[in-house]
Amino acid sequence: MRPATAKWPKMVQKKTFDRPRRDSSPRCAIRKMSKEAPLSVAEREFILEALRENVRLDGRGADQFRSLNLSFGDEYGHVKLQLGKTSIVVRISSEVTKPRDDRPFDGLFNINLELSAMGSPAWENGRSNELEAYVTHVLDSVIRRSNALDTESLCILKGVSCWSIRADVHILDYDGNLTDAACIAIMTGLQHFRRPDAVVRDGQVIVYGVEERVPVALNITHKPLSITFNAFNEGHNIIVDATRKEEQSSEGELVIGINNGGDVCFLSKFSGAPVDAMEVVTRSNVALEKVKEINAQVERVMQADLAKRAKKGMAEESRAENDR
Amino acid sequence: MSAPLILLPGDEVPSDHLPSNNSNPLKLGPGLRLLSQPSSKPDATSHVLTATQAGLVTTDAKRNTVSILSFPNRRYIPTVNDLVIAQIHHSSIDYFHCMVTPHTAHALLGQLSFEGATKKTRPMLKQGELVYARVLSVGVGAGAEVELTCVNPATGKSEPGGLGPLVGGMVFEVSTGMAARLIRASSSSAEQGDVIDGLAVLSELGKKLESLGGFEIAVGRNGKVWVDCSNAGDSAIKATIAIGRCLQTTDDKRLNPVDQKKLVTRILREMKLA
Repeated sequence: MRPATAKWPKMVQKKTFDRPRRDSSPRCAIRKMSKEAPLSVAEREFILEALRENVRLDGRGADQFRSLNLSFGDEYGHVKLQLGKTSIVVRISSEVTKPRDDRPFDGLFNINLELSAMGSPAWENGRSNELEAYVTHVLDSVIRRSNALDTESLCILKGVSCWSIRADVHILDYDGNLTDAACIAIMTGLQHFRRPDAVVRDGQVIVYGVEERVPVALNITHKPLSITFNAFNEGHNIIVDATRKEEQSSEGELVIGINNGGDVCFLSKFSGAPVDAMEVVTRSNVALEKVKEINAQVERVMQADLAKRAKKGMAEESRAENDR
Repeated sequence: MSAPLILLPGDEVPSDHLPSNNSNPLKLGPGLRLLSQPSSKPDATSHVLTATQAGLVTTDAKRNTVSILSFPNRRYIPTVNDLVIAQIHHSSIDYFHCMVTPHTAHALLGQLSFEGATKKTRPMLKQGELVYARVLSVGVGAGAEVELTCVNPATGKSEPGGLGPLVGGMVFEVSTGMAARLIRASSSSAEQGDVIDGLAVLSELGKKLESLGGFEIAVGRNGKVWVDCSNAGDSAIKATIAIGRCLQTTDDKRLNPVDQKKLVTRILREMKLA
């Protein structure tokens, strides 16, 4: 049995990697993960020059996200997210499986992300690239390892059967800030998802269909989101929610995973130019503000959708005529 | 002027829609092809113009051209005589290898295809620099190389003016349909009024930004618009971004001329330029 404290989001801290950089110029984009078409000299210079005057290409402020649009599909846990021109679909699904031998009380939770050629012509089907590994790692740390979804609540019968929850992330269009967008979409999906009810009777596991019993919401312990900051001009300009062009001209990025309560569950500064330590502290405050803002929006949109569903469900049941 | 005519691929262009100016040879724009049709009589093959893309037939009587105004698709396919904004990828002994669209085969631009270029005076373009060029040839069949030029081989001048390296400024991406409209709007004469092809945004921006010293714009058919406001001094960057945002919003939201004028006023006020 795991100690009760393990439920609490663990503080996972990543140290700065001082990887040798091939390019000595700090202005050069360090991020060579995806094979996106390189920016032209004029574009890079212009973006940096504009940021020096605190102007961004789309007229946003440094701490402003693009417009976030969330919508839901017919089924529970089917979320479509649109952040500016970045577009993501997340599907949450569940099935009953056998728990792992070393963790008989825990259910399973996995996040699957694949960058297919649908999202960007720079990505190839069936070939994983560095961006994919990177985003998967951040999502895994922020959502799965911070125990945002209480896996113990997924246990049905000790060591015999448990729920396996799977989040599939599909990227439809890519215009920067994949990590944050995917994080928001997965968290929304988990909160929206309803799994079928299951009971144990005489040592037998019975799973009820969604028509027989009201499906159950997942047990969300806290709502962490990642906020990615991009640094420019030797750390003088730090912005959130960079577009693809901004990401390409950035000199380094800082990812903070934080929940509504202000618990930092992930902090990373993988590569790129160094960022002042004080910046990390001030940026976590900005991140907290953003997370509260986004979580409030998610909550609002989701409640509206669930209310609509409840009304539709009741109208369906109280209908006088029925199919014979 | 006859009623607007929409053609589907394979449709013939009716002869009453062609410009009647007979002094110049008729020039074909993108989306059209000249096919010869064998007729029953020998030695008398007739020629027909057929559309290769769906779109609106547009003619320019003064320049004696006919072309198809296609829908605003995102994929650009090079056509001879198109003006494009290309990015240098690398250079070899004879050619600059350029990207016209990302993730496609490189287009070739001769090292000497610039106005007044000799072996000693040719521009030394580096990776990532931009050129405004004309599509010289597209080749035939799969794997054919697209060749670009910044000079008219017949006269040795950069015709139409402005071809060559683009220095400074900023590039904004728009749909190819929007780029085609912008080219027509900026090349048409002012006597047709402010609104050309449903586009008022350029003329409106020109009026509003005149006091700042105006701006320079180069539109590539590959969906790129280069904007430079270096005359505007301190507000150069803000003005450039304002122009880019106006063009992109007009494109994304398919605004009509009245809304375009409102948009220009709103964005210039937002950027504290008006």
